[in-house]
Amino acid sequence: MKQILSNKYFQLVLRFAIGAIFIYASVNKLFNPQDFAKAILRYDMLPVFTINMLAITLPYVEFITGILLITGIYKKGASMMAIVSLFVFLIALVSASARGLDISCGCFSLEESSTKGDINMRIIQDVFLLIGAFIIYKFSDKFLPVTDTGDDTQTGGEESVKC
Amino acid sequence: MKNNTVKQLLIIIAVGAGLGLLVNAVNPGGVPLILDKNIYKVDIADSNKQKSNIPEGFVNDPYDTSSYKQGHNWQVKEKNKQGFVEPEQKISKELAKQMYDIKALFIDARKKEDFDVLHVTGAINIPYEEFHAKPRQEQMSIMKKFNKDGIIVVYCKGEKCEVSIDLAYDLAKLGFNGVNIYKGGIHEWKSAGYPVEEK
Repeated sequence: MKQILSNKYFQLVLRFAIGAIFIYASVNKLFNPQDFAKAILRYDMLPVFTINMLAITLPYVEFITGILLITGIYKKGASMMAIVSLFVFLIALVSASARGLDISCGCFSLEESSTKGDINMRIIQDVFLLIGAFIIYKFSDKFLPVTDTGDDTQTGGEESVKC
Repeated sequence: MKNNTVKQLLIIIAVGAGLGLLVNAVNPGGVPLILDKNIYKVDIADSNKQKSNIPEGFVNDPYDTSSYKQGHNWQVKEKNKQGFVEPEQKISKELAKQMYDIKALFIDARKKEDFDVLHVTGAINIPYEEFHAKPRQEQMSIMKKFNKDGIIVVYCKGEKCEVSIDLAYDLAKLGFNGVNIYKGGIHEWKSAGYPVEEK
């Protein structure tokens, strides 16, 4: 099992998939802090004064995380960032679902409408992504020549050429 | 978690946050760092406690455009001060009915096919998605025949829809001061026995 999980092609696909999802999720928000703030506001979880700061910075952190996951640079840090953010999203989603909030997720598109109530679906997606990110974090460098010394650039570079 | 991971994590956060702040500073659609506390939603739970601030005997004229210059302010008080409209001024069905009785403009934010099947009697249909996609000028030309300070009630289906909120934002951004969101929507309205037109 461990061998499969740490197989570099498996890792590559996983990193690419999660990285792409992170980038896709962030692009809509990069230049639309206002709409994203609105989405965060609807969760009714955070103090109002933090909301704009989060709406401004979070999409860029997500975007960079996505880029790093795909390129393989800073694999450990990027996958941990993915784990942390997905975990936070999970808490927000579960809490929204438990409180019966009738809101759109704000996960990908900010203009979702008519058909809402997708929160439970998003929770499932989030859990899968979380598992994926954890696998990257835990097994990424097992059989690769370069150990995690903080400079993952070499390995990442090698892999991205292959892909 | 290894130190190394923490270090990378911090770098990612710092670079991301820095980039975000930088872009926000130059982005014309950027927002202030701190959202004004006063511009905050009225929770739906409070809508039951809401009292109407409509003066007795007042009858709204949705088509009175003289108020484009200056006028009174109804339910939505704070608008667009810092690039934000008050996000969710939700009203109860009782208040919605009161507004209906004084001839508030009811706007159905759903798609045309849904509107055709069932809508509040006298409501007009502005499908949010079509409206939002239009440039501001066109949005304004659709809305220019309506009273900017008149009372507007926006609604959609009810339970699982947000197009009413989204449309309310767009209208408030165009300068409409009296936009209210009736979150109960057409289903609640109908089950309360209030007037509807149905096919």
